[in-house]
Amino acid sequence: MRGIVMALALCGLAATASAQDPGAPVPQTDHKTGGSPNIQMISHVVNHPGAWKAADIEIEPEMNRPYVYVSGFVNNDMQIYDIKDPAHPKMLVDWSIENPELHRGIGAMDGKSFKIGDHYYYAQSYQFMQGSPDAELGAVIFDVTGLPDPKSVKVVARINYPAAPGGFHNTFAYKHSDGRVLYFATVGEAKALVYDLAKVVAGDTAGALIGAVPNPTPFKMFGGGSYHDFYVGYDVARHRDVFYGAGLGGYSAWDVSKPEAPTQLFTITGFGMDIAHTFTPSPDGNYAVTETEYQYTPLRVWDLKEGQDGTRKNLDVPISAWTADWHDLSHNHEVRWPYVFVSAYEDGFQVFDLKDPKHPKTDGWYFTCGCQHEHGFGGNPDVNWEGNSVEQGAFGVDIRNADGLIVLSDMRSGLWIFRMKGFTGWDGTKIGTTNVSSVQDWAHAPGGMAPAQ
Amino acid sequence: MSRVAGWMAGRIGGTVTALLFGLPSGSGPYDMALAPGPVAPGARGSARLVFADSPFGVAATADGHLRYEIRITAKALPDPASLGSYHAFVAWEVSADLKDWTRLGVVTNGVSTVGIATLNKFLLVIAAEADSGVDHHAGPTVLHGSSPSTWLQRFLNHPMFRGAPG
Repeated sequence: MRGIVMALALCGLAATASAQDPGAPVPQTDHKTGGSPNIQMISHVVNHPGAWKAADIEIEPEMNRPYVYVSGFVNNDMQIYDIKDPAHPKMLVDWSIENPELHRGIGAMDGKSFKIGDHYYYAQSYQFMQGSPDAELGAVIFDVTGLPDPKSVKVVARINYPAAPGGFHNTFAYKHSDGRVLYFATVGEAKALVYDLAKVVAGDTAGALIGAVPNPTPFKMFGGGSYHDFYVGYDVARHRDVFYGAGLGGYSAWDVSKPEAPTQLFTITGFGMDIAHTFTPSPDGNYAVTETEYQYTPLRVWDLKEGQDGTRKNLDVPISAWTADWHDLSHNHEVRWPYVFVSAYEDGFQVFDLKDPKHPKTDGWYFTCGCQHEHGFGGNPDVNWEGNSVEQGAFGVDIRNADGLIVLSDMRSGLWIFRMKGFTGWDGTKIGTTNVSSVQDWAHAPGGMAPAQ
Repeated sequence: MSRVAGWMAGRIGGTVTALLFGLPSGSGPYDMALAPGPVAPGARGSARLVFADSPFGVAATADGHLRYEIRITAKALPDPASLGSYHAFVAWEVSADLKDWTRLGVVTNGVSTVGIATLNKFLLVIAAEADSGVDHHAGPTVLHGSSPSTWLQRFLNHPMFRGAPG
């Protein structure tokens, strides 16, 4: 009897070992193609001939201005597309930094559209290496009011920041509750810069730098700790403008109701949070999605309420996490609650929802990269930036709230336009929350506390 | 794109610099890697700064700028006529803001010595030009690089000195 029990026990161990099968081959993750049935691919434009096509992407929010801006990454240019017919994007403008072949760096990274008075503008961030021309250049500002006439597009300002060469990696254009249009920019210092864009377009770039948001996370002790990315949104319930920053050392939230004197609210730090990349809250600021920039890490979901109400100064345990494929890494994202639209590097365009924030659910996907796994960005221009990372593929994503149109930029394949079945636009007030997203109402200050410009 | 932070850190040191900027291992602070321009993707080259002739130990201008001849080694430069109405390759000393272009001399495949360069920091641009004697730059770039001094940072830009948020 004892022998039979032992035999059964060994069979059980064998079955368990088989189920875990540590020797099983890793699933194929190269050259992913196709998509889920609910994601309709509208169009695709291969926008550059070389190995690298694009960094971030921006779509204007108004339906009567159907313009998409693609940051050209190491091609050092920015392109403007007319997508009046989304199935047939038409390139209107391809503007490049002067003498592009003499510049070294990752070039045109992030773009933001904004409006002041009756004029529409676009800010293109740039990053050039020390030793390259324009190493001190952060952004080039264009007046794009006259689109679709390409000849009407004019450079109206350039923002330089000589104190820390290397340019602006990410930026955010924000309609502040005091009525000003502000431009937040990363820089190679332990702070984010805050510019008054009305002063910038008026030619007063020196006087436009009105403040800075410190990065308080622990990397500051080493003399570094710059921000990587951020989101700024109005907290309707708490009546304040809030900056959500991600950078070296972790995440931090600041009350920037007075942008000349930000006050710290709370941080997110802890193991695995050091390479904090992106920090995007829900419309009410009660939840957030964060990204850390290393392979295998998921997007994390946080309950921010104890940080927002001052109960806790630091949060360190997320409530859930989501990944498209654990082999890879998801990149930027846009929250249109409860949906999260993700530019997921090798995993292309992905959508998940936070209807239950503790249990994220994948809703759709479309693979845009078609690339070989772990043959991504390498950080060195002398080898054409090629390396063995998973940093390739879908870089940026943006949503037009008016009709739910989705635009995506892929580092390897260019411009993509999608629709998701059933998603025909986003207005927070229609789903019981506040109408706060990355899309700004340039005519009205959030919170209704200041007159329209 | 946090990998950007890698090169943004701008670490200066023999091996790191050589690897990061494509210089051969063992290259020194007088060597420049030259990258091809888009019209001549197969071109290769390097350059070395050599003190110009001087009765003193170090060649310098009256206002204290070092004076260098530049020994350029170029390979696989195409026939300039294949790029358009061009007949020679000319080296230019270019200011970092690209506003000032000073003719240094004619470059051919093999070793060419041109000069004299006197800017503290400069770009070296080799371009196809209409004539070997032109004194204004107009043609496409075939090779380009940066003087080693361009990698030097201002003191206050060093990470050690910028920890305090302003």
